[in-house]
Amino acid sequence: MSTTTDLVDAPAADPVHAGPAAEPRRSRMLLLQLLCFVGVVVLWELVSLLGLVSASALPSPFETAARFGTLLADGGYWSAVGETLRDAVVGLLAAAVIGVPLGLVTGTYVAAEESSRLLVDFLRSFPVIALLPVFLLVLGSTPSMKQTVVFIACVFPVFLQAQYGARSVPPMIAETVRAYRIPRLLRFRRVILPSATPSIMTGLRLAATTSVLVAIGVEILTTLPGIGHEVTQQQQSGNSDAAFAYIFTAGILGYGINRASMYLETSLMRWRPPAHPS
Amino acid sequence: MRSSFLKAAAKQLWLPVVVIAALFALTAGSTSFYFPPFSQMLGAMWTGLTEGELVGDLWFSLKNILVGLALAIVAGVLLGLVIGERPTLRRATAPLLDFARATPTIAFVPVIVLTLGIGAAPKVFLIFLGALWPILLNTISGVESINPAVLETARSYRIPWWLRLRRVVLFGALPQIFAGIRVALSVAVVLMVVSEIYGSPIGLGNFILQSGSSFAVPETWGGTILIGILGYALSVVLLVIEFALLGWYHQRAPRAKAVRTMENEVTPA
Repeated sequence: MSTTTDLVDAPAADPVHAGPAAEPRRSRMLLLQLLCFVGVVVLWELVSLLGLVSASALPSPFETAARFGTLLADGGYWSAVGETLRDAVVGLLAAAVIGVPLGLVTGTYVAAEESSRLLVDFLRSFPVIALLPVFLLVLGSTPSMKQTVVFIACVFPVFLQAQYGARSVPPMIAETVRAYRIPRLLRFRRVILPSATPSIMTGLRLAATTSVLVAIGVEILTTLPGIGHEVTQQQQSGNSDAAFAYIFTAGILGYGINRASMYLETSLMRWRPPAHPS
Repeated sequence: MRSSFLKAAAKQLWLPVVVIAALFALTAGSTSFYFPPFSQMLGAMWTGLTEGELVGDLWFSLKNILVGLALAIVAGVLLGLVIGERPTLRRATAPLLDFARATPTIAFVPVIVLTLGIGAAPKVFLIFLGALWPILLNTISGVESINPAVLETARSYRIPWWLRLRRVVLFGALPQIFAGIRVALSVAVVLMVVSEIYGSPIGLGNFILQSGSSFAVPETWGGTILIGILGYALSVVLLVIEFALLGWYHQRAPRAKAVRTMENEVTPA
């Protein structure tokens, strides 16, 4: 009689779950991952306790966490995050509006891609932040200057990925479209755009993380409000724990944007094999 | 063969030549304070390099980039090979490394420069820190992408641990490692500029900041163009090294693959 209950209770009898071994392994992995985080925090605390690095360079993790908690209730914190995000999003949107069509067109015509390759290569390897002194002269220290710098930094990944996507139309389909004399606009909308979409999404994901990064970079070097400016301010007035809290905010933002766009990508691209596992 | 090479070169070169010519022609008579003639920008750069202190600035910046990048390559590749080779370790550290990569190194600039001073060491450290993550993560995913049969073979022949790491795992991951170094290089140039603008008595970043705030507009543009040339030259050098080491992998000019590999790159943040 106990045999039947055993059979029912045994996890192996459950066909819905991944199997008996998968569950404990998964939780063990989560535990290991948690242990890694704990290990880093302990190491960090040890370093700051032993005074290996001055407290202004590396505050204790617990002070940082406490400061982070009080900041979350602070309006100034949220307005700094808002400033950074607003300018990052404006620059990113402008980059998408300009970069995607331009990339699709140059990717479709081989001659356009070949002629623009060297120029784009040079401009792409240009560290956009180096334009800051010039922009400070020309545009002054304004939010629109920050947005312009973000735009320039984001337009290249978007452009290149759109171009690459447009080039990835299978030759057989391209030939078919030509044979049927599909009008140009229809071809862009129904053939090139769908096959380029996964690549465009990758470009937008890369650009999204870049946009926040560049916005923070500009804020560090100018007096424009935002996360970067707060890091500088707090560090200068000796609150290195608050500075670290802002740095972690930037990390959480970057991580969140990456995760969210990956999720968006997979849910929008359900009809395609996933571009990246997990 | 030769004529087809020339043809390809002409196809790619005509637009940059036209753009540079247009820059010269359109700005030649420029009286705008902010956009001086292009020739004047290049002239300012040239006199700075031949007579001024720009060479010292260039050398300081270049040295910091190279030292920081070299340290990051050594640490990132070694650590990446060890982590990548063990699936458990790889998966256990993945969230932590993902978060570390997402934290912008640029935000550490004020903290590091304000506490460690304005010398070369904090800049090298910042460049190292920023360049480490793309190299480390690309090395891990490069090791991950090695065909399991290759690793199994190495294991069944009982190839010693160190030899296996050096001759099997490292070579298998090398294409991806180079993708990581390419990303790390652009991160390094950005961090060089930012850390020097933030606080430095010398360097290209300091040069454009100083000339900008004293309204020496041609010098500011000239320095900015020089930074662009430096970044581009370094990436070309990297391509040449990659082509020499990985000719067997690409079997064609790596330039043709440059765009294609971009999707696999683990990008910085």
